[in-house]
Amino acid sequence: MMAYKRIKVWSVLLRLFHWAFALSIVTLCITGYYIHNPFALGPWEGTPTTFIMAKTRLIHFIAGFIFIAAVIVRFYLLFFGNRFERFTDFVPITPRNFKRLLATIKHYLYLSDEHVPHGGHNPLAGTVYLVMLLLSILMIFSGLFLLFPESSFWVGWGKTLFGTQQSARLVHYFFFWVFLVFSLIHVYLVVWNDIFGCEAIVSSIFSGRKFVRSDKH
Amino acid sequence: MSRLLWNGLGKLKRRDFLKACTILTAAMGLPVEMVDKVAAAIKSPQRPPVIWLHFMECTGCSESLLRASHPDIARLILDIISLEYHETLMAAAGKQAEEVLEASVKKYKGRFICVVEGAISTKDGGVYCKIGGRTSLEILKDVASQAKAVVAVGTCACFGGVQAAHPNPTGAVGVGKIITNKPLINVPGCPPNPYNILGTLVYILTFGKFPELDKYRRPKFGYGRRIHDQCERRPHFDEGRFVEQFGDEGHKKGYCLYKVGCKGPVTYANCPVVRFCDVGVWPVGSGHGCLGCTEPDFWDKMEPFYEHLPGVEVPGGQGIISKADKVGKVALGAAAVGIAAHATAGVVKKIAHKEKEE
Ligand code: HEM
Ligand code: SF4
Repeated sequence: MMAYKRIKVWSVLLRLFHWAFALSIVTLCITGYYIHNPFALGPWEGTPTTFIMAKTRLIHFIAGFIFIAAVIVRFYLLFFGNRFERFTDFVPITPRNFKRLLATIKHYLYLSDEHVPHGGHNPLAGTVYLVMLLLSILMIFSGLFLLFPESSFWVGWGKTLFGTQQSARLVHYFFFWVFLVFSLIHVYLVVWNDIFGCEAIVSSIFSGRKFVRSDKH
Repeated sequence: MSRLLWNGLGKLKRRDFLKACTILTAAMGLPVEMVDKVAAAIKSPQRPPVIWLHFMECTGCSESLLRASHPDIARLILDIISLEYHETLMAAAGKQAEEVLEASVKKYKGRFICVVEGAISTKDGGVYCKIGGRTSLEILKDVASQAKAVVAVGTCACFGGVQAAHPNPTGAVGVGKIITNKPLINVPGCPPNPYNILGTLVYILTFGKFPELDKYRRPKFGYGRRIHDQCERRPHFDEGRFVEQFGDEGHKKGYCLYKVGCKGPVTYANCPVVRFCDVGVWPVGSGHGCLGCTEPDFWDKMEPFYEHLPGVEVPGGQGIISKADKVGKVALGAAAVGIAAHATAGVVKKIAHKEKEE
């Protein structure tokens, strides 16, 4: 029988980030899709008004600002968080992380049974999270460019990054799908890890604590 | 020269003159107190000499300016500016016309405003557009270098327009790509609203400087706000009432054209406010979505005109255009299938493991 111990991995701030990020993405995807394709017909003339599109947009923007706050927090933690939260712990830039990356891929492909106990993110997941974080910046800049079309600051950035408003809309919409696909795979892999791994990964994002093998940590 | 050409039209009545000045002042976003200043500037004998060059275009911009439906404007422009050279309007032709150009450039060197209508061909030395044996590229460089300022009128002169659309066989570009060392204003549109053209010229005349410009060098008074944010159908947008198809019930009731491809949400222009032809019409007002004609590369970027967003080029698909929607749904579907396969493999493995353990 292997021995496990429970260690503190995720700070309160990181958990707050996670849930703000997750819930805002869900909200942004639902409201964003409605903005893209307003499938429900608004009430026809004569009936009481609902301003369904105006309200959906408002919710999108509120969720957008929560999303922005979350992204800023995560960038802060990448550099100043605890040892598991820093990018040095999971980006495959060191031999240790790179070896763990290969081991994780093997494990995910069912080629090896060994679940590498990472403590924090495994390098595969961590790298994807970092990419999503960078894509978030793209979403934020395109979103703010669309939201403040008369602000010379955002219009300046928007022109540099995207060109016209139409290009920004297309980028914003295209990466909406990327966020959707990411969310799906993320939820699946976390549940999978919960079943095949030993860390109790799902509860860790509530409690901040994970199980690790006591002989390896 | 204007007198020579328009001898049939006679002078503007004072009332009409002031009316036109008021509209112009409003179009420039200036308060009503400025009308007098604008009128005084227009009446001043020092009218700016203008040399109007035509390159690859349809003359629609000039036409829109001179349409009979707003004769005040037509006469006003000929009264305000002293048009030294304009191929469509001038009586001279051929060699004679080219001599006029040369003489005017020499006479007003460093003082005239060079208005450009139409795109410039750059491919193969610019041979696809020649006037009097000289390429448009040569003429533009020559004339613009001696001008005080350059005003690009119409989307072709600003951004290349239809001839610059993919695959752009003549290498057409807008003025800004060639003239980089002269003050330049872009007045895009297909065609631009006559009031925006005139407003730009009158602003320079009245204040002796350029109006405030945006990032694409468009005057902010005309292009500082999106169509969508000033559209009369906007309440229908906010309320979620959309035209689903041209001719349907919603279309008859004047609902928002967002779902049939209106580009108002991404297009900067004052069409809903200034409108066209002096009878208060503009595309969305008459039931057709905005095409985004004041935006750079609108022929490529705003396509398809009847859909909200353009297609995305599938990487490696050799020009196969797919809708972002379709790409997204395929990716989502692929992810779901992948997950299902991965999960099945996991379950199979677990079962196999258990059997071994037992
Ligand atoms: C993961 C993050 C996000 C997702 C998935 C998302 C999704 C979407 C989608 C699908 C659309 C419709 C695009 C179209 O078809 O034209 C949209 C529009 C928009 N989004 Fe986002 N968005 C995100 C983040 C943001 C952020 C951070 C902001 C900034 C506050 C923002 C502001 C906007 C604006 C202003 C629009 C245009 C609304 C309109 O013109 O009516 N979005 N978003
Ligand atoms: S018709 Fe076009 S510009 Fe007007 S509200 Fe609808 S989408 Fe916006």
